[in-house]
Amino acid sequence: MDYGLLVMGAPYSHSAPHSALRFAHAVLARGHQLVGVFFYHDGVHNASTLMTPPQDELNLRDAWQVLHEQHDVALDVCIAAALRRGVVSQSEAARHGYDTFNLEAPFELTGLGQLLTLQQRCDRLITFAS
Amino acid sequence: MRESEDLLVIIRHAPHSSNCLREGLDAALVGAAFGQSVRLLFMGQGALALCREQQAGAPGQKASLPIIDMLEMYDIDQLNVPKRTLDDLNLPLETLVDGVTPLSEQEVKALFSQNRPILNF
Amino acid sequence: MILHILTTPPTSEVAQQVEQAIQAGDTLLLTEAGVTAALNPDLHCWTQADYAVFLLEEDLVARGLASLAASHGLATVDIDGFVALTEQHPQSVTWY
Repeated sequence: MDYGLLVMGAPYSHSAPHSALRFAHAVLARGHQLVGVFFYHDGVHNASTLMTPPQDELNLRDAWQVLHEQHDVALDVCIAAALRRGVVSQSEAARHGYDTFNLEAPFELTGLGQLLTLQQRCDRLITFAS
Repeated sequence: MRESEDLLVIIRHAPHSSNCLREGLDAALVGAAFGQSVRLLFMGQGALALCREQQAGAPGQKASLPIIDMLEMYDIDQLNVPKRTLDDLNLPLETLVDGVTPLSEQEVKALFSQNRPILNF
Repeated sequence: MILHILTTPPTSEVAQQVEQAIQAGDTLLLTEAGVTAALNPDLHCWTQADYAVFLLEEDLVARGLASLAASHGLATVDIDGFVALTEQHPQSVTWY
């Protein structure tokens, strides 16, 4: 089956991202395809390259990136929810005149329409939120 | 691909409590813009999003009522509230915007169909 | 058939919302703080017979409630079983 995940919780604030990541690996272990993860609401913070947890804690951004590299999972971040919260790609930073940015590939800023497309395209969309 | 039954967007957060309300309504608007038929269910605190007299909040905190008023332009005319929510909150129907349809317990359950895409905010 | 996923304690307002939505034949999966329902086998969700209820094993273990759930004879699934439940149910709704 084709699965999509909707993640709406911030890392290190809520358990939603950890729960989602555990579920993602279990989906793949059962032989399913994980098409994409859509980050919305406070979930956009999962994409921040500046997150710096202590060394003995999982870096969630890196964990999502590994999922992408090993299983080709799309990591889409709602652009409106991200910009509002200070999660900005290089091109958006240039557009707004910032000298720094904190979102880069494999995460992609995308419109909210991508969430609805993911829901329509997948056999299952599972939400993880706090 | 799923069959194109109408999208159910559930709103459970009040104005000015979290951005869940605004971002939930945004999802409904985008769904409608994508040609999906959208139905909104306001449960619990979410029903407060329909209060006709609500205003902007603390400085810089925008009102969400203008989004509610925009729904009709996107052909979202199914604004549902469980009767149970109105009773629990002691919220009179007259305090809400026009066009809200209260639903019985059975009608609420009937909205949860396995063939209908659902987003819960 | 819908899989309802409850992530908040059984005493929460959110838990009441699930009660309004769930129908006979559906399944309720308790995850995250939802697994604290294991503390009280007299809760409505355990005494009703209209829908199946499961606790997520990993979240029980993390919170130190696994042996208690077992002693109360409450049904659990592990994360693999969670995925299996999503396979069996065409639709899921997460309540948070």
